[in-house]
Amino acid sequence: MNVLISGGAKNGKTGFAQDIAVRLSAGGRRWYVATMIPYDDEDRKRIKKHIDDRAGMGFITIEAGKNVGSVFEKAGGNGTFLVDSVTALLMNEMFSTHGGEADPEAVGRCIGGLSEILNKAGNAVFVTDYIYSDAFRYDEFTENYRASLARLDRYLAEKCDTVIELCAGSVIFHKGGLEL
Amino acid sequence: MDFIIGGAYQGKLEYAKNKYGLKDGQIYICREDKDVNFGRRCVYNIQEFTLYCVKNGIDATEYFKEHRPEWENSVLICEDIFCGVVPLGKDMRAWREMTGRLCAYLSKEAESVTRIFLGLEQKLK
Repeated sequence: MNVLISGGAKNGKTGFAQDIAVRLSAGGRRWYVATMIPYDDEDRKRIKKHIDDRAGMGFITIEAGKNVGSVFEKAGGNGTFLVDSVTALLMNEMFSTHGGEADPEAVGRCIGGLSEILNKAGNAVFVTDYIYSDAFRYDEFTENYRASLARLDRYLAEKCDTVIELCAGSVIFHKGGLEL
Repeated sequence: MDFIIGGAYQGKLEYAKNKYGLKDGQIYICREDKDVNFGRRCVYNIQEFTLYCVKNGIDATEYFKEHRPEWENSVLICEDIFCGVVPLGKDMRAWREMTGRLCAYLSKEAESVTRIFLGLEQKLK
């Protein structure tokens, strides 16, 4: 089963996704696909908090800031994969090469990797961020990123069995359900 | 009138095209530098027209009320711009408020209200 979880920032998406992944795995192997590449102490603190939060939940952490399709090689098999987050994945693929310019191939690479997980994992939970509803005129750079993330989100929404919007920790089902 | 709302890049227009069988020639795309044209079945990007209203001292909701017979049977589409921080610029704040008021009016008047979330429809009315 594949589940997509979206919503605004700081709504408890990661914690919720971890619970879902644990339940989906039904005692089987579970992988936490860590996508954040730390750049400063703030990032490192956030990562530490996430690691502490999931301690004792039985996740094995796989670092995949880029090339998310590579997780199977690293995991050496299937199981339940929690990809947290699509937002960071795209950021890394789009901006960390190409000398500061947005890489036009980034969306394609992300879709390639995500489709591997959708098709092979067994169970997967994807976390993304809803960044599409503010009254602001962004620069072209940021608009390009927003439009690209929307392509990934909509691709996942189409492919996943269940699509959830988390609002202040409460669940809105946009597609499917969770019978766990 | 059918009202469609949703964030940027969520597939609102694509949804409307499929749902109502709209051709490109039946869609009017609003701009921030132009008056709205209700001559086509679907009016898209209404948030651009409300920005035009802010810049030109027009009350968007009053304007819609005055032209009601022209859009009564239309498909109206507006971007949801209401979840970010309070905008810093005065015009942007006025724009958000005017768009919000207009959306509330249109929701009330609409036969159906649909929110599009990641390409998926959510029936609100």
